[in-house]
Amino acid sequence: MTTQNENLSPNDSMQLINSMINQAKNNFSENGFLYLVWGWLIFTCSICHFIFLKLDLFKQPEIVWASCWLAVIFQIIYLSRQKKKEKVKTYSENIVNYIWISFGICMFIVVIIMSKTNNWPMMNSIILMLYGTPTFLSGIGMQFKPLVIGGIICWCLAILSVFIPPVYVLLLLAASVLAAWIVPGYLLSSKYKLQNKQ
Amino acid sequence: MEFKELDPILHSQLRLAVVSLLISVREAEFTFLKEKTNATAGNLSVQINKLKDAGYLDVTKQFNNNYPQTICKITKKGIEAFEGYVKALQTYMNPNGQS
Repeated sequence: MTTQNENLSPNDSMQLINSMINQAKNNFSENGFLYLVWGWLIFTCSICHFIFLKLDLFKQPEIVWASCWLAVIFQIIYLSRQKKKEKVKTYSENIVNYIWISFGICMFIVVIIMSKTNNWPMMNSIILMLYGTPTFLSGIGMQFKPLVIGGIICWCLAILSVFIPPVYVLLLLAASVLAAWIVPGYLLSSKYKLQNKQ
Repeated sequence: MEFKELDPILHSQLRLAVVSLLISVREAEFTFLKEKTNATAGNLSVQINKLKDAGYLDVTKQFNNNYPQTICKITKKGIEAFEGYVKALQTYMNPNGQS
């Protein structure tokens, strides 16, 4: 590209503006990695918790969820490294980041409220509802339909969860992360790889 | 219908490309702009400086893992100039003022 302007007609200028705006808009920086990490972690924890409860293997089967703290530490390290590699920051990414921060804060508050009120059976239903909100909003922000659908599925499962025995809600948790994070995570990953190949 | 004068700072292929890219993002690194515009580093650097001198861009130079990094961000004045440029372009493309 040159700096010449003698031959730059209004049509050329308009086409150049459109092409650059589209290039910036199509720059997809979400590789889906954290969706997959959290998706598979929650999926595994839910299934393990369900099996431990059903087979009565441990006194405190909920201990499996402690692994989430390791994932939090991993995520902080991963994100700080990714931030250094970022070549561009978009407005939508900024909003999506704050949506997930607010989700993390809400999850923390829910755990405090539930532990104080000792209302554990209800917790998984609320968590299902909470999973849906950032997933749905991220999908809207990134214009990525699988996340929007995943968010809606989480909300549907949250409603369903109050009609089934609490122990089976753990299976709904596994189903929700499969629909909301694992499947979209793989789709995001392939979209990202395809963009970087071009 | 009167043709509006096109801002000479923006009416250049590379400078217009840089501003069009930056209008859509919060901020971008020099390497991103170079990659998207296919310009040479020297030429791009000169044009970014011209935009910076006109007050259209904020340019921050910093170090990341011991490597120099140049981060560009469009200013409020830059956004207004870009909007004015697009409006002026429309008078050329649609001289009768029809939408």
